[in-house]
Amino acid sequence: MFFNSIAFAIFLPIVFFLYWFVFNKTKSTQNALLIVASYYFYSCWDWRFLFLLVFSTFLDYYTGIQIEKGKSERSRKFWFWLSIMVNLGFLGIFKYYNFFASSFSDLLNSAGIKASPILLNVILPVGISFYTFHGLSYVIDIYYKRIKAEYNFVDYSLFVSYFPLLVAGPIERATHLLPQVKVKREFDFQIAKEGVCQIIWGLVKKVVIADSCAVYANAVFDHYTSLNSLSLILGAVYFAFQIYGDFSGYSDIALGVSKLFGLDLLRNFNYPYFSRDIAEFWRRWHISLSSWFRDYLYIPLGGSKGGLWMKIRNTFIIFVVSGFWHGANWTYIVWGFINAIYFLPLLLSNSNRNNIDEIKLKWDFDSIRVISSILLTFIITCIAWVFFRSKTITDAFLYLKQIITKRDFGFQYLEPDRYNYELLLMIGVFVLIEWNNRHKTEPLSGKRNLLKLALAIGAIMAFGTFSDYKEFIYFQF
Amino acid sequence: MKRFLIYTGKIFLLTILIAIVLDGIYTAIFMRSKDRGKIETVFNSKAENYDVIILGSSRANNHFIPQMFQDKGLKTFNYGMSAGHLFEASLMLKLMVERKWKIKNVIVEADLNLAIGHRSEPISSKFLPYIHNSDIIRDHFQDEKNFNEMYYLPFYRYIKYDSKIGFREVFFTLIHKKTNALENFGFYPLQKNKNGNMKNNIVNLNPLPHNKSYEEIKDICKANNINLIAVMTPLCENVKGMDYFDKVKKAYPEIHNYENAVTDDKYFSSCGHMSDEGAKIFTARILKDFFNK
Repeated sequence: MFFNSIAFAIFLPIVFFLYWFVFNKTKSTQNALLIVASYYFYSCWDWRFLFLLVFSTFLDYYTGIQIEKGKSERSRKFWFWLSIMVNLGFLGIFKYYNFFASSFSDLLNSAGIKASPILLNVILPVGISFYTFHGLSYVIDIYYKRIKAEYNFVDYSLFVSYFPLLVAGPIERATHLLPQVKVKREFDFQIAKEGVCQIIWGLVKKVVIADSCAVYANAVFDHYTSLNSLSLILGAVYFAFQIYGDFSGYSDIALGVSKLFGLDLLRNFNYPYFSRDIAEFWRRWHISLSSWFRDYLYIPLGGSKGGLWMKIRNTFIIFVVSGFWHGANWTYIVWGFINAIYFLPLLLSNSNRNNIDEIKLKWDFDSIRVISSILLTFIITCIAWVFFRSKTITDAFLYLKQIITKRDFGFQYLEPDRYNYELLLMIGVFVLIEWNNRHKTEPLSGKRNLLKLALAIGAIMAFGTFSDYKEFIYFQF
Repeated sequence: MKRFLIYTGKIFLLTILIAIVLDGIYTAIFMRSKDRGKIETVFNSKAENYDVIILGSSRANNHFIPQMFQDKGLKTFNYGMSAGHLFEASLMLKLMVERKWKIKNVIVEADLNLAIGHRSEPISSKFLPYIHNSDIIRDHFQDEKNFNEMYYLPFYRYIKYDSKIGFREVFFTLIHKKTNALENFGFYPLQKNKNGNMKNNIVNLNPLPHNKSYEEIKDICKANNINLIAVMTPLCENVKGMDYFDKVKKAYPEIHNYENAVTDDKYFSSCGHMSDEGAKIFTARILKDFFNK
């Protein structure tokens, strides 16, 4: 059940009605309804994996309690590592086993040892990377005594399985969401209204921006060998907006839907393409994942404490692991590696936290410097996206090489039946809207709300791409 | 909560209002379209006289050369549509008759498409802008499974088939951007394609015993004194299941089998589509056999 489907448009009002009018007596009834709704939502994808979700929930719930109750350090460690190993084990089997098996086999073959990998014929359970990370952060926090274990199974289950964030995040923290599910929610008109605006803006991002860009980006990446430099550059730009519109659109819908139920989720995107350097980009892009890796990998590894080599090592580890989290393919690993290389000069010059203030432009030279930094950051981000989008690393290098060697910047006709420049105006308008509203969560709320909503709904209907339907990209991760 | 319900009610009404307004604008633009495609041209046409009208799929569109008919003094237009089925061919003929076109002969390509009883979604969607302005189109779609949504939900059809009749098409229609659909009297020539697929397997294909759209075409022609020439057109050499054409002949004896009129692969662009050279040979044969020209 996709957020942009008719099924969800029916599902959401039904759950909303039951939540506020039938099951609103206590927080327990509210939570119970949301759990049932979440499990139904998840089973619409593939009911067989519901068992995996329930097992994973129970495992972390039980081990969390055992860690807290553990009288000796040895016992605490046992339950802690059991949870970590089983969680990562599931992720490893479903997501990474085939990659490691075939990569190892390729390595042996290249060394002259004949080997054929035994591959598993399994499909990736939707959302596994997200709910596994929910559970991991919970268990780690209990182990390090940052939080108390949750003894109410329904409350804990809701934290892991809450349907708006179940399949593609944001990756929630127990410290943020659990306290909210422990109390009865009261309806707040302003918050619900913001939620509606955020849902509609998320749909604009997904249906108008991401899915339209997808048609052009696919046309370019699928036939890149026969295209000129301008088409290839625009292909990378279209993909940059496709993945941004797709994922941030999903996050906006998730946050908006959650507001309808009185639950606040972590913000996942903060206008990342207006970043002045790559460090700022990573503070604004997929924030819940970046901060997860910072808190549960980078800092435990030593963070920026220790010597220079330690800093460099840790930086490369989190970027490469972050890339690998996205999928079992070398292209994602290289994408992470490239971002680490981008980050390195900032780290070495201690300027990775230079741009934490708000962006303000005036008619002066400093503003020109700011705009140049934003453009430069966007360009290097697009170069990295080429690796993320290409099927193989070789394809990515050939794609980039062709931009330089073709040296033809003319307008070009793409398959199916469209010119390479056609979307630029739409992207330009979208960027302007985002720029003017960069201090807000979304641009629709505030003054002239109904007029802005009308324009957004009109845009979804008139400019949206529906027949060439696209799933949300991050569902595959 | 009451305020919220009123707020969402307003958004709901706003959405319906926008859908009605957009529906009106898009339909009005399509009602003025004349130079984009064959369907729009026929719908917005007035009475015309033709000696020969050609209908069918791409195997009509790429195989019959109207210019060769014209050279022999026969006013001809090829209304074959790539990816079209007989559902759309039948509707085209209905619209022509409704607009009082005087047609002496209709050549319909009836072969592989006889095995298909349903509509071609991408082609049939181009009729949908006119569904509220034409009883013929409405009645033709009446039995389709999503008719109610297409007919009663404002703007639904433009959303559902946005790649065919969505904003992009509306914009190009508005600025009168031409396509090549109407060039060469509707004929689209194909070049010899070195990489063209020269194999086909139609073993599992069976002509429907009563293809509704084909029967409609026959009835319309009979009722309007139009001479119907139904033909099977050639396929390349390497085809499995060539007895399909015998099955067609058995089910519909009036259809002329020209499957062997051109056989050499050098005259084909792909297995189901002849090149311009092949089309010339084939059209010459049709002219000779049916028009003594």
